[in-house]
Amino acid sequence: MPLDTSTYSLGLLRVDGRRWNELRRIHAQIRTQAAADGSSYLEMGHTKVMCVVTGPTEPGPRRGGNVGSAGGAGAASGGQHKDAEVLVNIVIAGFSSVDRKRRGKGDKRTLEMQSTVANALAASLHIHLFPHSQITISLHVLSQDGSLLAALINAATLACVDAGIPMTDYVAACTAGSTSTYAANDESADPLLDLNHQEEQELPGLTVATLGETDRVAVLVCESRVQVSRLEGMLAVGVDGCKQVREILDRVVREKGRKMIQEGTVERGTGLNDMDVD
Amino acid sequence: MPREAEPSLNEREFVLKALQENTRLDGRELDQYRPLELTFGDQYGVADVTLGKTRVLAKASAEVTVPYTDRPLDGIFNIATELSPMTSPAFEVNRPTETEVLISRLLEKTVRRSGALDTESLCLVAGQKCWSIRVDVHVLSHDGNLIDAACFAVVAALRHFRKPDTSMEGGVLTVYTPAEREPVPLSWLHSPFCITWSFFGEEGEIALLDATWLEEQVRVGSCTISLNKHGEICQIAKLGGTPVEAVALLQCTNVALSRAKDFSAFLDRKLAEDAKRRDKGGLLAELSAENDR
Repeated sequence: MPLDTSTYSLGLLRVDGRRWNELRRIHAQIRTQAAADGSSYLEMGHTKVMCVVTGPTEPGPRRGGNVGSAGGAGAASGGQHKDAEVLVNIVIAGFSSVDRKRRGKGDKRTLEMQSTVANALAASLHIHLFPHSQITISLHVLSQDGSLLAALINAATLACVDAGIPMTDYVAACTAGSTSTYAANDESADPLLDLNHQEEQELPGLTVATLGETDRVAVLVCESRVQVSRLEGMLAVGVDGCKQVREILDRVVREKGRKMIQEGTVERGTGLNDMDVD
Repeated sequence: MPREAEPSLNEREFVLKALQENTRLDGRELDQYRPLELTFGDQYGVADVTLGKTRVLAKASAEVTVPYTDRPLDGIFNIATELSPMTSPAFEVNRPTETEVLISRLLEKTVRRSGALDTESLCLVAGQKCWSIRVDVHVLSHDGNLIDAACFAVVAALRHFRKPDTSMEGGVLTVYTPAEREPVPLSWLHSPFCITWSFFGEEGEIALLDATWLEEQVRVGSCTISLNKHGEICQIAKLGGTPVEAVALLQCTNVALSRAKDFSAFLDRKLAEDAKRRDKGGLLAELSAENDR
């Protein structure tokens, strides 16, 4: 289904009525599963992801032949290490996309996403505090509408916050794209923020994840052909979008914290004097 | 599963300290590649790439098969990557490690998804017969930077490859042997090359190209950029690792573009040399009964 670019140039609106620099609605919750160490639920537009974090725990038996949970952390992967191992397992539900496609356990795209999420979080989590242990992140994709990797990273970050694992900062992710295809070499191409499925199919785009409020890029994945000159604009918009996403994630966490204090689930800490609880 | 021995703490410290002072253990500049060598086999479509002590062999082959039902007008193109125990005890047969999956995914995205090979030209009879092109990548020796070497080998092998000529007459498909008709090259659209940056230091502020295995073991992150000589990015993969400044990544991309142009020129030269070596002076010279005495 080709994107009607004529509509774009007329009203400067995209297929779903957004402007170039607008994110889709992000709705997030943390502590959705009471029994889990950490859990979250995140919607970015129609992309819906659930995440459960278990750990840090003692490492289970070695995963023999269990390809589904690959994704060791950074340099350490094997039996005994001085850092905690971050394992990520992604399950993409059959009903999540329009065409019900069955993905096997060894699907390379899923494996790549698992290892990306694991490595991105391992760099932000203070895994050196938990030697000889493992942190398991299970992600469930309930609905897909573009920016899947970004949603997975955001959900995993929130769940890690909920699990109380010390980390440097939020790893916030979003996508950015460019309005014309690689063939058209027009310089007037606008960058776009937060692509949906239709735009992702049609236009060049990339996924960016940054650490906190800095401009430091933890994940950068581009899977389409695009002119080098276009990269700078897309990256700038993407990094800016990540900062907006970080604000939203931060708000979700603070909101939940406030609620928990009000309900008396947790004691009000000493460092929270500046926080408006009532 | 045996594990690759990790470098000792002293070794690690030594490499990193040296890098802080802009020195690499083998005396290269930070953005300098090891000597790249490419040899073609006697057969068409065999490329042997050596990058320092890393050695990768790629072999392209073609056979006639039935196309996929959902893509009746396209041929089939596959890249199979194999890391055998010969390379390192950490690799096992039939159990792809994470490295192997990531390499094959990267090659797939760089060469196949970027449309380097025109798959529509592989179609022979719509929905019934098509060429299936397969590239087997064998890693013979692993001393870091497998991705760049493997990608170069795949592109070289495919550009060197010739598939048997065919003709369609009255609904009869004929595949000619090399003796009957000269094999034809694939319809090749552009040549993408992978350039991998490795990052070191607390904030990933030291970036270098073509890391050796030791450097790869102590790095904090990496970013693989695939480009062709026209300045088109085919793929970027920075899959986690220590966060790096966005501006630094843009600079890396610009340097990568010039490297990709170098690679492209090098490959063109090698292909021209090989074509000259194979050229016996046309059919007349080949059929001549005269012998050198």
